[in-house]
Amino acid sequence: MLELTLQALFSGLLAGGYYATVAVGLALVFGTMRVINLAHGELVLLAAYIAYAGESRYGLNPVLCIPFALVVVCASAAIVYALLARIEQDREMNSLILTFGLGVILTNLILMTWAADIHSTTNAWMLDSVVLADTLFAMRSEVVFFVAGLALMAAVHLWLSRSWQGRAVRALSSNRNAAKLMGVDPSRTEVLSFLVAGALSTFAGIAIYTGKTIYPALGHVMTVKAFIITVLAGMGSIPGVLIGAIMIGVIESFTVTYAAASLQELAGMVLFLVVLFVAPSGLFGGKKALPR
Amino acid sequence: MIRRLTGLAATAAVALAIGVGAAQAKDFVLGEQSPLSGNLARVGQGMHEGISVAIDMANKQYAGKHSFKLETIDDETSPAKAVAAVEKLAGMGVVALTGGYGSNIIGPASEAANKAGLVYITSGGVTPELTERGHKTFFRINNTDGYATAMIGLLEEMKAKKVSVVYLNKEATSNLAKSVQRALAGKGVTVGMHEFDGATNDFKPLVNKVKLQDRPDVVAMVGYENDYVGILRAAKVLKPDVKAMVGVWSLATSQMAKEFPDLMENVYGTSMLPYPVEFTAPEAQEFAKTYKTLFGKEPDYLGQFGYVQTKLLIQAILRADAAGTGIADELRKTDEPTLIGRVTFNEKGDNPNFSHRMGQHQKGKVVLVWPADAANGKAVFPGVPW
Repeated sequence: MLELTLQALFSGLLAGGYYATVAVGLALVFGTMRVINLAHGELVLLAAYIAYAGESRYGLNPVLCIPFALVVVCASAAIVYALLARIEQDREMNSLILTFGLGVILTNLILMTWAADIHSTTNAWMLDSVVLADTLFAMRSEVVFFVAGLALMAAVHLWLSRSWQGRAVRALSSNRNAAKLMGVDPSRTEVLSFLVAGALSTFAGIAIYTGKTIYPALGHVMTVKAFIITVLAGMGSIPGVLIGAIMIGVIESFTVTYAAASLQELAGMVLFLVVLFVAPSGLFGGKKALPR
Repeated sequence: MIRRLTGLAATAAVALAIGVGAAQAKDFVLGEQSPLSGNLARVGQGMHEGISVAIDMANKQYAGKHSFKLETIDDETSPAKAVAAVEKLAGMGVVALTGGYGSNIIGPASEAANKAGLVYITSGGVTPELTERGHKTFFRINNTDGYATAMIGLLEEMKAKKVSVVYLNKEATSNLAKSVQRALAGKGVTVGMHEFDGATNDFKPLVNKVKLQDRPDVVAMVGYENDYVGILRAAKVLKPDVKAMVGVWSLATSQMAKEFPDLMENVYGTSMLPYPVEFTAPEAQEFAKTYKTLFGKEPDYLGQFGYVQTKLLIQAILRADAAGTGIADELRKTDEPTLIGRVTFNEKGDNPNFSHRMGQHQKGKVVLVWPADAANGKAVFPGVPW
């Protein structure tokens, strides 16, 4: 019983780490621009497929594919931003339609380029098992990317709270007009947040490729999960994303262990609704983060 | 005079022959609705390739007499879009439909085909409900029973006393899992049932439950490719003390052998063909050759099923055209040895002869191990990928 519980907790923690790495880029853009980038999961997937291409064609370690994936995904994120910036009216609604369409285009481009087969890394080091205290089991890639993900999120949090650019992002998120009066260039700040989100998506994509299987329809699944976590966290809150993602990961894992695996999505959604019922602005969505 | 009459007769004979030939030669347009994008894109593409091979081979076989054209619409793994695709194909004047994947998609799509009076033949939906609707236009060459028979047969041969069935909560997978459970329980085998959702991407908690609570001899997996990879990956990390990992469709394939060599060793799955493919019959060799020419790879079971269903449909179309009867009536008369064994159709449109075979991944190959008369090698038992 104890073994089952500990493994459920450990697996939930690692799953939460994955969810957080996928969601943090979406949360950043959502916090800055009030735009739900429905192509976010596809950008993560694009990075994963670039890692697959690098590994399968050139025998590269997936981690070594990060620089190339970074360029492609950040360029794609910049294109998404350039298109979004052209929306002049009803930005929140029109951006949903636009990014959804871009997501469909990206999915189909991935499908045409890499076909519909499922893929995952063949890197033996990544796939090796790690056993802690003879009780907790995981793949090495899960542990490595969990730790690296935590470090990356801490870095993003520090950047947002300590650097001028990061403060500009937060200022824009809190009050756009006041930020402009304080000398913040909204366009520059928004494109910066899109590029940072692109970099985070790249990391998430490599993490997904090394620990899970990838297929063209996965992008949409990741967008939905990232959206749930972003709303659960409270708009734009990085610690909230991490805690929300881990909560979802752990509750899913416990549901599988003590109820039924088929109920895990339901359990995550119930948690989501309960949190929103108790705290409508999300876990860390104080009033400051919400109004423009 | 005689010479003139002979000349006239010869001219008339030639003209008649040409005329008759021209009257008999027909172009047939077949419709295909398959998932070429979305969750089932991989399997839909596999079936589409088999269908394309059948069309290509028929065009060669009947060159100068008839020609066959395929109109394909991607249903995007959506039941609503599948219905729209069938309605559009019906509007385009196709003579019959082949394709479809996923029982929940094939159900409404074949309903639309039935309303349009078009024959719908498939190998992508195995749930029993599909043939219980009483449609006279619905035909399929495989079914749940054929998969269950193979899985149960192998598990019996292994003399498993405890089996954990880990299955996806979709209609076809649930039906198959429950069918296996009933059969095994009836033979005194202890069966643990574990249902999971399609969104599951971490199977460690589930496999850990199986490992610590069920402690089975064999884990039986009923899902699709990414589910198998997830389960096997979790099992490789947790190393449950089992003698075998057994799955069904989409597992004992060349694709899985190539893509996931670290996970597949000793794993079982349903397979009509060994890999590398060994074809001895001339038709099978021609099929493999055409497949390789068109797609640059070895055929797999999906292509094989797509090919067989379309070939049978083409034969029925030609018989119906020659006899002036209906395609459904002619399909019902089918009694043909095919690449997947003998095919006949009962009054419900099901193929009662269908029984699958079990293959095992062994050192990058797929070896047929069940039934004994189809086996081309011996099973490695006990054997797991770790």
